[in-house]
Amino acid sequence: MSEDLLRVPFPQRAGAALKDAFLQEALTIATTKFIDLRREAFEGFPQGDALRDRARGIKEATLQRLDHYLGLLADNVERLGGHVHWAATGEEAREIVLRLCRDRGVRMAVKSKSMATEEIDLNEALEHAGVTPIETDLGEYIIQLAHEKPSHIIAPAIHKTKGQVAELFSRELSGRFAADPEVLTAVARKELRQKFLQADLGITGANFAVAETGTLVLVTNEGNGRMVTSLPRLHVAVMGMEKVIPTMTDLVVFLSILAKSATGQKLSSYTTLVRGPRQPGELEGPEHFHLILLDSGRVRQIGGPLREALYCLRCGACLNVCPVYRQIGGHAYGHTYPGPIGILLTAMLKGTDSVKDLAHASSLCGACKDVCPVRIDIPRMLVELREQVAHEHVAPVAERMLFRAAGRLMASPALFRLGARAGRLFQRPFTRGGKLRSLPLFFGRWTATRDLPPVAPRTFSERWDELDGPKR
Amino acid sequence: MTTRAEFLGRVRAEMRKVGAPGPPAAPERPAHLGEAAAAVRREMSERWPEALVRFVQEFERVAGVFHRVATPAEVPGVIRAIARERGAREILTWAPAELGMDLGPPLGPELAVLPAPPGGGELDRLRHREEAARAGIGVTGADLALAETGTLVLLSGAGRPRSTSLLPETHVAVFGPGALVESLEQVGAILEALHVDPARSMSGAVINFITGPSRTADIELTLTRGVHGPKFVHAVFVDGLGGAPR
Repeated sequence: MSEDLLRVPFPQRAGAALKDAFLQEALTIATTKFIDLRREAFEGFPQGDALRDRARGIKEATLQRLDHYLGLLADNVERLGGHVHWAATGEEAREIVLRLCRDRGVRMAVKSKSMATEEIDLNEALEHAGVTPIETDLGEYIIQLAHEKPSHIIAPAIHKTKGQVAELFSRELSGRFAADPEVLTAVARKELRQKFLQADLGITGANFAVAETGTLVLVTNEGNGRMVTSLPRLHVAVMGMEKVIPTMTDLVVFLSILAKSATGQKLSSYTTLVRGPRQPGELEGPEHFHLILLDSGRVRQIGGPLREALYCLRCGACLNVCPVYRQIGGHAYGHTYPGPIGILLTAMLKGTDSVKDLAHASSLCGACKDVCPVRIDIPRMLVELREQVAHEHVAPVAERMLFRAAGRLMASPALFRLGARAGRLFQRPFTRGGKLRSLPLFFGRWTATRDLPPVAPRTFSERWDELDGPKR
Repeated sequence: MTTRAEFLGRVRAEMRKVGAPGPPAAPERPAHLGEAAAAVRREMSERWPEALVRFVQEFERVAGVFHRVATPAEVPGVIRAIARERGAREILTWAPAELGMDLGPPLGPELAVLPAPPGGGELDRLRHREEAARAGIGVTGADLALAETGTLVLLSGAGRPRSTSLLPETHVAVFGPGALVESLEQVGAILEALHVDPARSMSGAVINFITGPSRTADIELTLTRGVHGPKFVHAVFVDGLGGAPR
């Protein structure tokens, strides 16, 4: 993720997003549409709930013997003629790809959409090494041309208008193109078709990897995943190690809920199961297949507080329903993975330090947990993360004192009552129209963007005391 | 660089923090995979007409175009009509042995039929790639037709190139009653059997599930077809098409 963006603190990034009228509209339209499509897909699918439970069970059972399944996957990939690499860090993964490029004289690489390669900043590394990486998912292609970053896990360019895309294509691809999605898609098809045929290397991620058969599974709508694994002479897949699942029977459980959660489709247009390089007698497919299994902070969560985040299928459903994401969009989060799950994944991959602000970018309403196809308890982990942030990075002195005072106040009924009475007295000059609208000192930073309800004329506990009759 | 032993060592160390790891859980699936797949085949040999109704409904929902003919002899006529409609002159096909029919004689000479060479030599490969890149229509079989989702399942292998259903603007899949299955669960049983039963084992590296044309909604969420793969997908169901199902 661009360092420039991260130099601006999160509250300012979020503030800028809130003032971007186009972004606000695009986010509302996109997230509302995704929510409706997902709901319709599950309404017509009564077995959905049971399958979600089963999918969750498979993820948990796999984690319990992850060593076994990773070993089995590697054995099977190698048996089929592929090569397996183990990368502890993103840097190691990049080094492996660059070495392969040097050894095989790769000049151009075509990529199908992959969050894992986004996460390890592979494109920048390839460019430095003189290899041209071409993103081939239409949304990713658009933002690559614009030198931007994805703003949604499954719809990377939702922040751009068709007018902006037309302008971008006209400038970068020398032509005059109408602001019509049909026209622009045809332009990209023609441009990228040549790249598929010319490229030496195809780079993919993986949605799943089936341990027992050594099969990599790619789910796409455009068909670029198929192109990238069929046409270049070399295929490299970079996969988070948690994507392994045991069997084909397990795979169909996930397939039956993944597309419904992501786009509301019963299945995405293409689900591609790839086993190793081209087999004898085949006319197409790569001569060499390399699988890179990536740790980069994942492994330590097997026994860590974010274990459940390792279940994530990257469907994006939790983004669409999140009241915070719906307001600020993906870029404001400032990291590869946005939204509620993105906060947890960022903490996993980059450490708690990187989410000290983001841990609070949630209303804890629980909508994310409700829509998650594998029912990840995101709110619970966010609360735990906040606790950790509070312990480790010590908030400003004033905030700490305030919370300590509030703690004392709430622990003692007498103090609490006294506080309520004092509050009623001191709030008077600041109350307008029944709300606290501007508080003095550093409290003013809260009321600058929010109203605060004043202490009630009679508090609940005061009214309770006045009630007649038995109270217990 | 990290070795397999180091990587898995770290995984194990983490696993022990949660508790002593037991044996891997037994997979939730039938004990005899070959038999389970055979049972699916038996059931479907009775129930395929119902599955076909559902397939048509779902296939059309994802913008597929469905055709039904009685005998293999009528297939070339369907393809000629599609070629006329699309203004296509060159027809890429799977090898006749894999497709179950040779389209060359009935469609020639006004249409150029380009069957995949059954072998995999370097010259064949180059020629095929060039043909695949320029043909307007690709004709394949379908190993499975999944009713629940309107999905065609194609296994790659000798004489069944991956790109026949990918590079041309129009993809036509020809199949008979033996390909029909009802549910993803049944597909799971058949995929399991494919990987354990050497007699049924697939020769190629890829299995593709194809559900309608290539599509994207990446520009303002406007649904657009044919971004990289085919813009049009046709299914030609042949009542009288036999052949050993996979």
